[in-house]
Amino acid sequence: MSEKEIKRPSSNLRRAAAVVGVGHTDWIGDWKRVRAGEKPTDSYGYGALALREALADVGLTRADIDGLIVGPTTAYERMSEVLGINPRWGDQADAVLSVAQAVMAIEAGLAETIALVYGNDQRSAEIQYGGPQAMGGDAFLSYVYHSPWGLTSQGALYALTFRAYCHERGFDPLDLGLVAVAQRGWSSMNPNAVMRKRITLDEYREARYICEPLRLYDYCMINDGGVALIVTTAERAKKLRKPPVYIEALGRRDLNRGATSLEPRLTDFYLSAQQDCARQAYDMAGFGPRDMDLFQVYDSFSVHVPLALEGYGYCEVGDVGRFLREEGIGPGGKLPTNTSGGHLSETYMQGWAHQIECVRQLRGECGERQVPDCRHAHYTSDVAGKAVSIIYSR
Amino acid sequence: MSQATSEAARTPQPVLGLYDRPMWESIRERAMKLQCCTECGGFQYPPAPVCVHCLSPKLEWRVLSGRATIVSWVVFHKSYLGAYPAPYNVIAVRLAEGPVMVSNLEPPLPDGDLGGSWIGKSVRLTYSTMPDELVLPRFTIDDGEPKQT
Repeated sequence: MSEKEIKRPSSNLRRAAAVVGVGHTDWIGDWKRVRAGEKPTDSYGYGALALREALADVGLTRADIDGLIVGPTTAYERMSEVLGINPRWGDQADAVLSVAQAVMAIEAGLAETIALVYGNDQRSAEIQYGGPQAMGGDAFLSYVYHSPWGLTSQGALYALTFRAYCHERGFDPLDLGLVAVAQRGWSSMNPNAVMRKRITLDEYREARYICEPLRLYDYCMINDGGVALIVTTAERAKKLRKPPVYIEALGRRDLNRGATSLEPRLTDFYLSAQQDCARQAYDMAGFGPRDMDLFQVYDSFSVHVPLALEGYGYCEVGDVGRFLREEGIGPGGKLPTNTSGGHLSETYMQGWAHQIECVRQLRGECGERQVPDCRHAHYTSDVAGKAVSIIYSR
Repeated sequence: MSQATSEAARTPQPVLGLYDRPMWESIRERAMKLQCCTECGGFQYPPAPVCVHCLSPKLEWRVLSGRATIVSWVVFHKSYLGAYPAPYNVIAVRLAEGPVMVSNLEPPLPDGDLGGSWIGKSVRLTYSTMPDELVLPRFTIDDGEPKQT
């Protein structure tokens, strides 16, 4: 979409709520402990430790929390019990929808201060994302329906997408390495990132295929950890310790028709969903990609990034190879993208840690990797064709 | 199924919802059928309780022509399943009847290693019997010659 088409802000959700506290577990320490055969805690424990950090960040206590939204990997009731909270608004949702739902509940007056809590012991519990017990098969039929033909693992679904995408749009598969290289560039400056060693394009290209055309560095890591966010009203946010980070706008479009046969992944590459989602989010914000200082993309696989850059209007459709090569998304590039290192290099918290990175960049807390004068951040995910965006502003 | 078939090599079993069963029965008979809507004429895959194009409940099972075109393909270099030691291919095809379907391409394979693409190649439906006797619909490159199956 072009910038000219952006309408005036229309929603009463705009800047109704703000993120005021963020916290997470010791990803690096737990990575080492789990690889040494230890079991630091379970998913509930990771969530609880992250909430302690988030409460300390904002200077609130559990008594201030009257809403709780937990991630998809923990049961709502049990997490609430472990945290010792009796919410007046509560639910379970993924990263991006938990933020959206918190804003809606707060604006509607159903809660004032909501904790969003995610914990996942996926590495130490040896959760399988490929194979006969593939995670997510109960929610997404495509994850299990094609297993008689040996198609399993979400990475393979993105490999199929990417092959067709390269053919359709003329994208050079070797340019995909620019994503992994850029994100390692960022993570090398992130003291919380699990993978901090920079890689070169040659190292990317020499790495083994997992599911061809995707290679090792196109895949996210799998690690244990937790993330928590505290969201409250814009009014209360102004009185708290840290500068508020407002939820400026939301957008969403799901492509569910043909989802199991993979048709939207293989013929549309989610483009129409991203464009609809973008229109809604940019209209609500009253500004668009040209004014964005930071772009954060759910990156279980590197493929998400070029698709999102085109779909959300950061470059022309068909031009993302040139954009990656000439303008750049890494340190020193035109569009700082996944500045924490993302799922590929920082931590695989299924989109939750990306929210923290948006908040910290907008607060100016990111040290060496800080984006100068960061005012607006755009987070987006397109898991299984559900394109959802949040625009954060300070 | 033979008792000797190890669990590790067992073909991952199909999802068998209420509407999948007639399809798998037709596959076992080597005449794969999909639902076709008698109101709008649309075919659908996977099977569903109503027509996903027009919501009509008036569906009938029709045998596929067997003609299709490759939409995408991958090669697994990591093994996830006992029945599928790497490397092996997975393809997505567009059936002549309309729907996209995931399957495998049987040899002889086209040259894909020197930058050649499988996308757009015509393929024809065939049937493979797995070691545990599950029959799978698969595809071969359609060289234009009539096939005896």
